[in-house]
Amino acid sequence: MTLNLKTFFLIILCAVLISCSSSKEKLPIYGEREAIKKMVNGVEVTDTLYQTIPNFSFLNQDSVIINSDSLKNKIYVADFFFTSCPSICPIMKKQMLRVYDSFKGNPEIKFLSHTIDPKHDSIPVLKNFSNKLGINSKQWYFLFGDKVTVYNLAKSAYMSTSYEDKAAPGGIVHSGYFLLVDKNKRIRGAYDGTDEGQVTQLIDDMQVLLNEYQTK
Amino acid sequence: MLYFSFTLVVFAILLTACVNEEKVKYTRYFTDGAQLYKTNCQNCHGVNGEGLAQLIPPITDTVFLRKNRNQLACIVTYGLAETIRINGQTYNFKMPGNTNLAPIDLAKLLTFVTNSFGNKLGIYDVNEIENHLIKCR
Repeated sequence: MTLNLKTFFLIILCAVLISCSSSKEKLPIYGEREAIKKMVNGVEVTDTLYQTIPNFSFLNQDSVIINSDSLKNKIYVADFFFTSCPSICPIMKKQMLRVYDSFKGNPEIKFLSHTIDPKHDSIPVLKNFSNKLGINSKQWYFLFGDKVTVYNLAKSAYMSTSYEDKAAPGGIVHSGYFLLVDKNKRIRGAYDGTDEGQVTQLIDDMQVLLNEYQTK
Repeated sequence: MLYFSFTLVVFAILLTACVNEEKVKYTRYFTDGAQLYKTNCQNCHGVNGEGLAQLIPPITDTVFLRKNRNQLACIVTYGLAETIRINGQTYNFKMPGNTNLAPIDLAKLLTFVTNSFGNKLGIYDVNEIENHLIKCR
């Protein structure tokens, strides 16, 4: 009888464990979406079309072109900054460095920091900045691009703001968000890069996102 | 004899009062300075004055602070463009100025900074700050 009871509990325990591991946590998908109808094997099915980051092409600190192809099959974190920014950028960089350290050397993870002050932040300035930050330019790209293009990308694709304002410290206003983008170029999370708690959440969520791709 | 001891007691009271006044002033400057540091400096130099990698220098180098005591007010107000060596490391990123700070704020702020993060360099007086500011390049 006791043995039977033991076996029973063991079975229950196994069942609980299995059900836990199979119901994997998933991150939400942000942005606009629309339902589209398409034909699959002659049958009309409805599918969801998600908002994605449009193709772009910028130069990084090594003068290498970085575009959507360079980020194929990569999860990445993007932010907007400028090197002479006296307000929130140093905190953001300190926090981003923390995320970078957690995923250092992981071939699936990249980091993108777009400068929003290309007039001052030339490629040599970005190179010097990235060297002084002590990071690997193969994993963390400091991207240089035309101002209007970068501002538009921030606004339309990443739902992030950046604009010039002479009254603001450093002359440019921008939001301090870190955007998490998955391998299908969809935004899966936005985190306040000046908030330590939210950045820790980002690190956890990146692990969840990595797991999503492992099950496939 | 009674008169003498009375004078002695009065003198002692006055002395403690003076010492206390200095101490109260220091505490007030330090406390206000901590608030000023938080709003004007902490974003870059950090909660513990640790700076950021090789971009932003820490403010833990007591020798540097002591040597440049007369320059600190100018550096905070007008920023710094030249290369400096802190704890044996070279730093060459430009520091922006903070022209919004009045001499009294600078006195409080520098009293806080030069007596925190392992530094112990005593109080900054407003007159001292004003003298330093005149000599800024």
